[in-house]
Amino acid sequence: MKLNTPRIRANFDLCTGCDICRLECSLHKQGGYNPRRALLRLESKNQGLTVFPVVCHQCDNAYCLQVCPHGAIERDSTLGIPLIDKNKCRNCGLCISYCPLQVITTGNEGQAIKCDLCGGEPRCVEACPVGALTLVQEVNLNE
Amino acid sequence: MNNCRWGKVLIADLTNQKFDEQDVPSDVQEKYIGGKGLASWYLYHLTGEKVDPLGSKTPLIFAAGPLTGTMAPAMRGVAVSASPLTGGFVDSYFGGNFAQEIKYCGYDAIIFTGQSESPVCLVVEDNEIKFMPADNYMGLDTFETNHRLKEDLGDDTYRVACIGPAGEKEVPFALVSCEYNRHAGRGGIGAVMGSKNLKAVALKGNELLAVENQHLFDQYVNQARQELADSEAVQELTSCGTAATLYFSNESGLLPVYNYQRGTFNPETLAHEAQSQEIWLRDAACHSCPIRCSKVGVIRRGKRRGTVSDIVEYETAALMGTNLGIQDIREVAYLLYKCDALGLDGMSGGSVIGFAMDCFANGILDPVDCDGLEVKFGSSQNVPEVLEQIAYRRGYLGELLSKGVAGAAQSLGNEAQEYALHVKGMEIPAFSPRGAPGMALAYLTADRGACHQRAFPIAYEVGGEPFEGEYLERLAIRGKARAVVKDQNYIAATDTLVKCDFGSFGISGDTYRKLYETATGDKLDEERLLRTGERIWNLTRLFNIRQGIISRETERLPRRLYSPLPDGPAAGHSFSREDEEIMLDEYYQVRGWNAEGVPTSEKLSQLEINLERRW
Repeated sequence: MKLNTPRIRANFDLCTGCDICRLECSLHKQGGYNPRRALLRLESKNQGLTVFPVVCHQCDNAYCLQVCPHGAIERDSTLGIPLIDKNKCRNCGLCISYCPLQVITTGNEGQAIKCDLCGGEPRCVEACPVGALTLVQEVNLNE
Repeated sequence: MNNCRWGKVLIADLTNQKFDEQDVPSDVQEKYIGGKGLASWYLYHLTGEKVDPLGSKTPLIFAAGPLTGTMAPAMRGVAVSASPLTGGFVDSYFGGNFAQEIKYCGYDAIIFTGQSESPVCLVVEDNEIKFMPADNYMGLDTFETNHRLKEDLGDDTYRVACIGPAGEKEVPFALVSCEYNRHAGRGGIGAVMGSKNLKAVALKGNELLAVENQHLFDQYVNQARQELADSEAVQELTSCGTAATLYFSNESGLLPVYNYQRGTFNPETLAHEAQSQEIWLRDAACHSCPIRCSKVGVIRRGKRRGTVSDIVEYETAALMGTNLGIQDIREVAYLLYKCDALGLDGMSGGSVIGFAMDCFANGILDPVDCDGLEVKFGSSQNVPEVLEQIAYRRGYLGELLSKGVAGAAQSLGNEAQEYALHVKGMEIPAFSPRGAPGMALAYLTADRGACHQRAFPIAYEVGGEPFEGEYLERLAIRGKARAVVKDQNYIAATDTLVKCDFGSFGISGDTYRKLYETATGDKLDEERLLRTGERIWNLTRLFNIRQGIISRETERLPRRLYSPLPDGPAAGHSFSREDEEIMLDEYYQVRGWNAEGVPTSEKLSQLEINLERRW
């Protein structure tokens, strides 16, 4: 039995759109409050009838990792997720352009930043008042 | 480090299509804190003399509070201007995310002055500020305007405030839609926007807000959340929004029914159970709010199916429901959807339709003059068409009702006054004051005309809450002024933070102060907070006096309330002119105002209100 990479799962059916997850994220990753600067997005559709949280998928086939020309994105050895080495990042923005979910953003010094699951205890998951975000590790039944 | 405010406002001059950034004077920040206080100060000082609310000299101010945009729960924004409905001061509050974006753009407020020659939108993206032609959006409803504007900007994450056709036509109870079901609803701010040829404002800001002491701020955020979780009133809002209040008002005989003829109406088909069954699908929340009192859904059966609707709030469920005798929640939700789309305040809208129904029933309006568009109590037939006519100011009936109940009654003559439920031109909210005299006093003296959100003495008179340790006798005329004044000062004080009223059901004054102190580093003791509230209340009073809307003749209850209430626990109760005089005398005295309701010079100097012109 194999365990997949840990991921944040968005239970969109529970999301109220309160943005507490993004405030928590921007505070801890960017140093202040602004949902626009967070590493996850909320997509509102049909006059607010639905709100979909869009979180980093921690892709197995990570576009960000593949497009980085400076080798700044590598798979981390403990969690197995793609991480950006800020010392190697040259602010070229390619990972931001090609992230299929548009959840990589720019940090205060122009560098790219992406969700690192806060080292395994994601703040957004902890902050959500309704359990719309959960940290999951799926059992891969195919292997 | 910005301590979560910028001390800076953006002044957008529509006449000359120019922008200016101004620092908020430090003494003004000290005395008026932010939000309602700051905006009231700018309104008073930018005008300097009596203004026509729809004229070029009237500023329109969108202000955020110092805590708006941070993690502090349930903070909002306020739009302040002169009201075309009352002629006086108006402050209209909105939730959602628009006010937060003002802060993320680097401002505490955006102030519009002048009037544009042609229709425009203001678009702000960080430091890039521009006016964009809005000709393509004219005539579009609020939903379509929002959608098309974002599409043209190529980014649906802009936060947009816009007006509908009613605002363009300067209907004096036109609202500003702040995405999607959050409105600066009351008092006609939408008409002020329309008079300025300002169709929409789109904001996108990347600035970060930091607080002075993160560790302590986090503690008080948790404290505030705990207070919300512990409050029974808030728990009810989380599960059913304000819709359950219909039961309270029905049992207390305070519901508006058949244009305030009666005070009771079985609310079963309109309240939360019915709404949940027919409409609701999910809880929705404003920025950083754990309460999530909104319930968004869709009407799934019947002729209105497919209409996306937010919760039908108590106020609108009553004014567009029980007040018109309409029992089908789907019809009420649809009528309010029409109001939102057309850009009409659903509260005033319901009251205006109730007025029309009464006028038809009593032969004051004749269907023959109104293209056959008769409206009758108990039915929604023709109401959508009449709302459209009002918003576009079409036809005899639309033109008439678009003036609001006070204006329409004036056009129709003395007999129609019986059916016009307003104070100073503002249609009265959905808590009938017969059976709650303190509430009548609150309506008589509220700064924006009849308003239930400036003081709510019903809590003491009917709700069983003690005032300063004592229970107030429900029907007593005397002894209510102190409660009204205290509520008004406290609410004005906490509206410097632009708090949500529902948040204040749980969050204590001490916690609001601590949130402010730890976020801004500015010391705010209870005395300063309450004095600020009183200062604001006196300043807006001075504005209203300058606008010429204050006199013993305008501080009067609608005539219908002089007849006895026929039903409910307070049956038989009515007001007399003498009751009003007693309450007003007592109120002016508690306020330290003279017998005409004018703040004395001693009061002004005691509150350090400086009226010297700054521009």
